[in-house]
Amino acid sequence: MSALLEVRGLMKRFGGLIATNNLDLDVTEGELHALIGPNGAGKSTAIGLISGELKPDAGTIRLAGADITGAPIAARVRLGMTRSFQVTSILPEFTALENVALVEQIRAGHSFRFWREAARDRSLTDPALDMLARMGLAARAEVAARDLAHGEQRQLELAMALMTGAKLLLLDEPMAGLGATESQAMTTILAGLKRHATILLVEHDMDAVFALADRITVLVYGQAIASGPPDAIRADPAVRAAYLGEEA
Amino acid sequence: MVRRYLAALVAIALACLVPAVAAALGKPDLITLGTQIAIYAIAAAGLDLLIGYTGLSSFGHAAFFGLGGYTVGIMAFHAAGEKMFGVIPGLTEAWLVWPLAIAVSALAALAIGALSLRTTGVSFIMITLAFAEMFFFLFVSLKTYGGDDGLGFRRRNGIPGISPRDDVAFYYVCLTALVLVLALLHRVVHSRFGRVLQGMRQNPRRMEAIGLATYRYKLTAFTIAGGVAGLAGALHANLLRFVSPDMLHWTMSGDFMIMVVLGGAGTLIGPVIGAAAMVLLQSWLAQWTEHWMIVMGPILVFVVLFARRGILGLFR
Ligand SMILES: Nc1ncnc2c1ncn2[C@@H]1O[C@H](COP(=O)(O)OP(=O)(O)OP(=O)(O)O)[C@@H](O)[C@H]1O
Ligand SMILES: [Mg+2]
Repeated sequence: MSALLEVRGLMKRFGGLIATNNLDLDVTEGELHALIGPNGAGKSTAIGLISGELKPDAGTIRLAGADITGAPIAARVRLGMTRSFQVTSILPEFTALENVALVEQIRAGHSFRFWREAARDRSLTDPALDMLARMGLAARAEVAARDLAHGEQRQLELAMALMTGAKLLLLDEPMAGLGATESQAMTTILAGLKRHATILLVEHDMDAVFALADRITVLVYGQAIASGPPDAIRADPAVRAAYLGEEA
Repeated sequence: MVRRYLAALVAIALACLVPAVAAALGKPDLITLGTQIAIYAIAAAGLDLLIGYTGLSSFGHAAFFGLGGYTVGIMAFHAAGEKMFGVIPGLTEAWLVWPLAIAVSALAALAIGALSLRTTGVSFIMITLAFAEMFFFLFVSLKTYGGDDGLGFRRRNGIPGISPRDDVAFYYVCLTALVLVLALLHRVVHSRFGRVLQGMRQNPRRMEAIGLATYRYKLTAFTIAGGVAGLAGALHANLLRFVSPDMLHWTMSGDFMIMVVLGGAGTLIGPVIGAAAMVLLQSWLAQWTEHWMIVMGPILVFVVLFARRGILGLFR
C-alpha cells in the first residue's frame, strides 16, 4: 500500500548546516505519525519543506501519489494538506469567528469578490461556527483572537487548519507553551481528530506522543535514526542513547 | 453602525457648506483649500488600502498621482495643438479624460506592482520609490510637455451643465468624487477581497499556510490604489490647470504616506482627516514662517508616538 505522504531523500542546507539530511518518511492514510527529536533536530524544517514554505535542495515529496516537490503552498493546500505553527500564528485583530470564516472563504474559491459584505455571508459564518463549536470555542466566537487565552489560541489554530478541509495535517508542536491541563485537553482533541484526518505531529510532550501516535519517526541532526510503532521506538537502543536517554 | 452613517452624513453636509462659509467670510481661498483637501483625501484613501489594510508601505504613490495629472495635461495639450504622434487626437471632455487617467495610472500600477510585490519590507519601500523616481525623471526630460517647467492648459475638462470657470462647482465635483471613492472603498474593505487584504496585513505567513495565493490579491489592491490616485491626479490637474514633475516628486509620495498615518491608517475616514490636517496646517503655518516643516515635524512625531491610530485614534 502506498503512503498518503511519501518523502524521499529530502535535503536542506542552511549555509554549512545540514538541517534535513537525506530524510525518508512515509505517512499512511489514517495514521497519526509523530516526528520527534531533540531541539534543533530539524523537525520544523521538515514541516516547512513538506508544506512548501521552504524549497528543498534535493529529494522528492509525494502527496497521494502526486509529485508536489516544487508545487506552491496554495496548490498543496488545495490537494488536501496544511500546516500549523510552533509559535502561535493567528490573525490577532480578527475575532475567532472571522479567523475561521476567512479560511472557509479561501477554501470556497477565489476571493475576487468586491461588493458583498463578508461578515454577513452565512455561507462563510455557518460552517465557521460549526467548526468553532467542534473545538469547544463556540462561546468565544466574537472575541478578538489576540484576547483569547493561550490554550484557546492553539485550539483556534487547529480549527483554522481543519477548516481548510485538509486530509493531512502537519502540526508543529500544538502543545508548545500549554500548561498540564491545557495539554491534556489538546490531547483529547487530537485523539478525536484521528478519526477524521491523517496527522504528522511534531511534539516534545512525550506523554502526548506515546498516547496518540500509531508510528513514530525519530530525527537527530536532520536524519531519521529510527521509525516504527511506539513500543519499538521506546525499546530502540539508538533512540534511547540519542534522545530518550536525555530525559530519563 | 447607524451612528457611523449619521456621522458620515453630517460630515458631508458640513463639507457642502464650505462655499457658503467662504462667501460669508469673504475668503474665496477657502474653496481652493477645500478642493485641495478633497483631492488629496482621494489619493490618501486609496493609499490606505495598501498601508492600512494590506500592510504594504508603498513609497511611490506620487507616480500614479502624477500620471493621472499628466494624462489630463497631455490630452489638453494635444487638443489645443497637433495630434500625438500625428495620429492620436487630444481630449477635453471629463467623461473621457478622467477614466483614461484612471486607466493609465492603474496600468502603471499593475506593471510596477507586478515587479515590486516580489519583494517585501524595506526592499518594497525602496523599489516603489525607485520606480516613482524613474517616472519623475521621465517627465523632467520630456521637453515637449514642458520638462521641468511643467505644462499649463487653458480650460478645465468639460462636464455638461457645469461651467469650467466655476470654482464652487468644481469643489462640489471633487467632493462628490471623494464621497464616491470612499463609498466604493468601504464596500471593498468589507468584502471577501477586503478580508483577504486585512489577513495579509495581520499575518501573511498564516494566510499562505491556509492556501491563499497572496501575490495576485496584493497586485489587485496595488492596481486599485493606483487607479484611485490617477483620478486624484486628474482632478488636481484640473484644479490648477497645470501639471509639473512636482506631482511625481518623492516628497509628494511622502506627503500621502503622512496623511494616511497622521489621520489613522486602516480606517477610511483617517486619510481624509489626515489630508485636511496636512493642508490646513501647511497653509496656516506657511503664513508665519516659510520653514513650516520645522513645526510640522514635531507634530507628526507627536501623533505617531502618542496615537497609534493617528488623529482619529486620539478620539477613541
Ligand atoms: N532559516 C534558517 N536559517 C538558518 N538556519 C536555520 C533556519 N531554520 C532553522 N535553522 C537551523 O536548522 C536547524 C534545525 O532547526 P529546526 O527549527 O528545524 O529544529 P526543530 O527540530 O524544529 O527544533 P525545536 O525542537 O527547537 O523546534 C537548527 O540548527 C536551526 O538553527
Ligand atoms: Mg521546531
